[in-house]
Amino acid sequence: MKWKVIEKSKMPVLIGELAKEYEVFVPVKEKNMVSFEKFSSGNEAYLDFRNTKKPPKEVFFPQTETLFTHRIGRKDIEVVESPAVREKRVVLGVRPCDARSFVLLDKFFSSGEHKDVYYLGKRKNTTIVGLACNHPLSTCFCTSLGGSPFGKEGMDLLLQDINDRYLIETVTERGKELVKKFPWLKDAEKANIEKAKKLSEDAENAVKSKVSVKDVSEKLDRMFDDPLWDQIYQKCLGCGVCTFLCPTCCCFDILDEEGNGGKRVRIWDSCQFSCFTLQGSGHNPRPSGKERMRQRIMHKFNHFVKNYGESFCVGCGRCVQECPVNLDIREIVGAISTRPRK
Amino acid sequence: MKNAEKEWEPKILAFLCNWCSYAGADLAGISRIQYPPNIRVVRVPCSGRVNPYYIIKALQRGWDGVLVSGCHPGDCHYISGNLVARRRFAVLKDLLEYVGIEHGRVNFSWVSAAEGEKFAKVVTDVVKEVKALGPAKRLVKR
Amino acid sequence: MENIENSIREVTKKLLSEKKVDMIIGYEQGTLPLRTTPCFVDKAEDVQKLVWNASCDANLSKHVVGRKEKVGVVTKGCDARLIAVCAIEKQFPRENVVIIGVPCLGVIDRKKIEAKLENKEVLEATVEDEQIKVKGEGFELVLPKNEFLCDSCLTCKHRNPPIYDMFVGEKAPEITEANEFVEVSSLEVKSAEERWEHFKKELSKCIRCYACRNSCPLCYCKMCFVDQTMPAWFGKTNDLSDTMIYHIVRAFHVAGRCVDCGACSRACPMDINLRELTKKIEKIMKERYGYEAGVSLEEIPPLGEFKMEDPQEFIK
Repeated sequence: MKWKVIEKSKMPVLIGELAKEYEVFVPVKEKNMVSFEKFSSGNEAYLDFRNTKKPPKEVFFPQTETLFTHRIGRKDIEVVESPAVREKRVVLGVRPCDARSFVLLDKFFSSGEHKDVYYLGKRKNTTIVGLACNHPLSTCFCTSLGGSPFGKEGMDLLLQDINDRYLIETVTERGKELVKKFPWLKDAEKANIEKAKKLSEDAENAVKSKVSVKDVSEKLDRMFDDPLWDQIYQKCLGCGVCTFLCPTCCCFDILDEEGNGGKRVRIWDSCQFSCFTLQGSGHNPRPSGKERMRQRIMHKFNHFVKNYGESFCVGCGRCVQECPVNLDIREIVGAISTRPRK
Repeated sequence: MKNAEKEWEPKILAFLCNWCSYAGADLAGISRIQYPPNIRVVRVPCSGRVNPYYIIKALQRGWDGVLVSGCHPGDCHYISGNLVARRRFAVLKDLLEYVGIEHGRVNFSWVSAAEGEKFAKVVTDVVKEVKALGPAKRLVKR
Repeated sequence: MENIENSIREVTKKLLSEKKVDMIIGYEQGTLPLRTTPCFVDKAEDVQKLVWNASCDANLSKHVVGRKEKVGVVTKGCDARLIAVCAIEKQFPRENVVIIGVPCLGVIDRKKIEAKLENKEVLEATVEDEQIKVKGEGFELVLPKNEFLCDSCLTCKHRNPPIYDMFVGEKAPEITEANEFVEVSSLEVKSAEERWEHFKKELSKCIRCYACRNSCPLCYCKMCFVDQTMPAWFGKTNDLSDTMIYHIVRAFHVAGRCVDCGACSRACPMDINLRELTKKIEKIMKERYGYEAGVSLEEIPPLGEFKMEDPQEFIK
């Protein structure tokens, strides 16, 4: 059956049972912050959040990841690959915007000849259980970027909050297999499904923030030397908040560190950091915030569009909320989209 | 008779200024004054040369204790290097102890070239204190 | 407040039209309730954008360093002190900055409001006298402003800029009673073990986004120590040891310069209470060297000088 239903009070039971077979990541509330953590008896799931502070990309693309280690022996150097993540995982409670970000990240990490085994290896073993948004925030603009509060892209199952219970909609075969493990789940009634449909329409109407990206990519083609860039970058601090909290941003730096020989690690990097494009020669082709801000906008709304067919943004609004100086990407894209076509 | 398990001995990194403290340590050696062998000496031209990063890096690398020793105020070979260092070390020590690094891990002393006895005493005291604290665990990078 | 806003617009208009400055740095309305955003005005008619209210939390002195042109800056007490520190450190000629001093009664801490409202979102907010009125989907609340100000503002001893070229409005009454080091003192009485566990827990949340560093006007180094290679002093991963050292060293680097403006704590997306470190540094400088940063352009910061009689009780 495509539609099942579970009472909210039974969710902890479901998660507990899941945790026996899978590594389960759930939103956990600590003080006032909700983030995805590994489920354990001390780390219970909290599903009444608007959205998590950090996006769930870190389940597949952690802030720090060891690529391999090496040991220097007497006569040779031994390189030890990092063990592949073999455990089956479930990430439960992913909002549709964040689930959609996985689809975009997949495009990025699997493109070309050399596929990113670290990211893809984890993606392969993971089931995504989404959680639809009944109450989008005022900063959410997912509908402008191909998403929606009850969207199913990137998920295997979608939980829909219909008051005292969750409707469980099966989206993929993998989701279907997961549901089969819980034969005690009841089939949904027609009334449940209709209620969810109504909530979905309400939620979609509740997304008031609209950002037109229709011609933005094309307009950006002609805007490399535009005076817009001179204005918008000035208040930017050049920190990494927008990039680190963005579900689709995935630039990384690779470093070698010492430690019983050594290890090669990759860490999150930000195109807004001043050293991002600093070259070994000392030359920096993006010397100021102006070039860096231009690059960010162009990457998200022009380069990615040309390479992969869609904008590299899911409209989650985290960058808008968390930017220390309230630099609003919606304003920038809006300014570009209202440019005359010529 | 060999002990299967040797008792743990702390390793102390000592930055000694060339003109006073290093000479004082040398004097202790020449005078055959016995003091614990737990220190490893790095000779620096002046205590003012010691960058706070060295001290923090030493703790990160697992050194159980750090000692920085220079000339007495007024006697610095470079006139005021130790005076500059004094303020720096004061702030660093206060800050590290506030964050939770145990009191006694990071030490400072003034030892002149004639104070072989004092040097031996300082090292003995520092080793005793650090031994009581146990192996360094905080800030150590695994 | 409105009077001050209008006065700011008048004063800045005059400065621009008389060409006394090339640019005005101030605040304009943000895109979200209770937010303002830094604003760079170079045309006299654009001064209408400038606002002044309890959401003017950004540290504008950050945007002064590195500018070649003459700027006029709408400046709160903490901002003025930071401009003074940067001027003493020769980051720009003092004559290039016109400090437009404004009395500040404290800025609102959005994180405190978010914590109070839990999952509810503020869609509209007005600040009137001592009250913050917030409205959202299905709720309306009136919050007493003094309970939702930033912690650094609650004990601020410089509501009026100690250094300024012109002053807008009337001087605000200064707080004399509050003990600004009460949080630090409560940590100092704990054992080293307890403090270690506390800082370990707080700093393990850090994602190394450097919002703290980049929002601080004093962190103007072209190459920050964390980015340095050859030698790479400390790692850039979220390894706990490296992360704690980053914060310890950053606190050390602002010793004798930090004025507790609170920008670092406000900027942190992971809600780390960075002021527990920076406030301690301030306390050390005050107790050891009797120094308060940024109140005088004549004084040299403590780590830039020394005295024969400096305390040395910690030296064997």
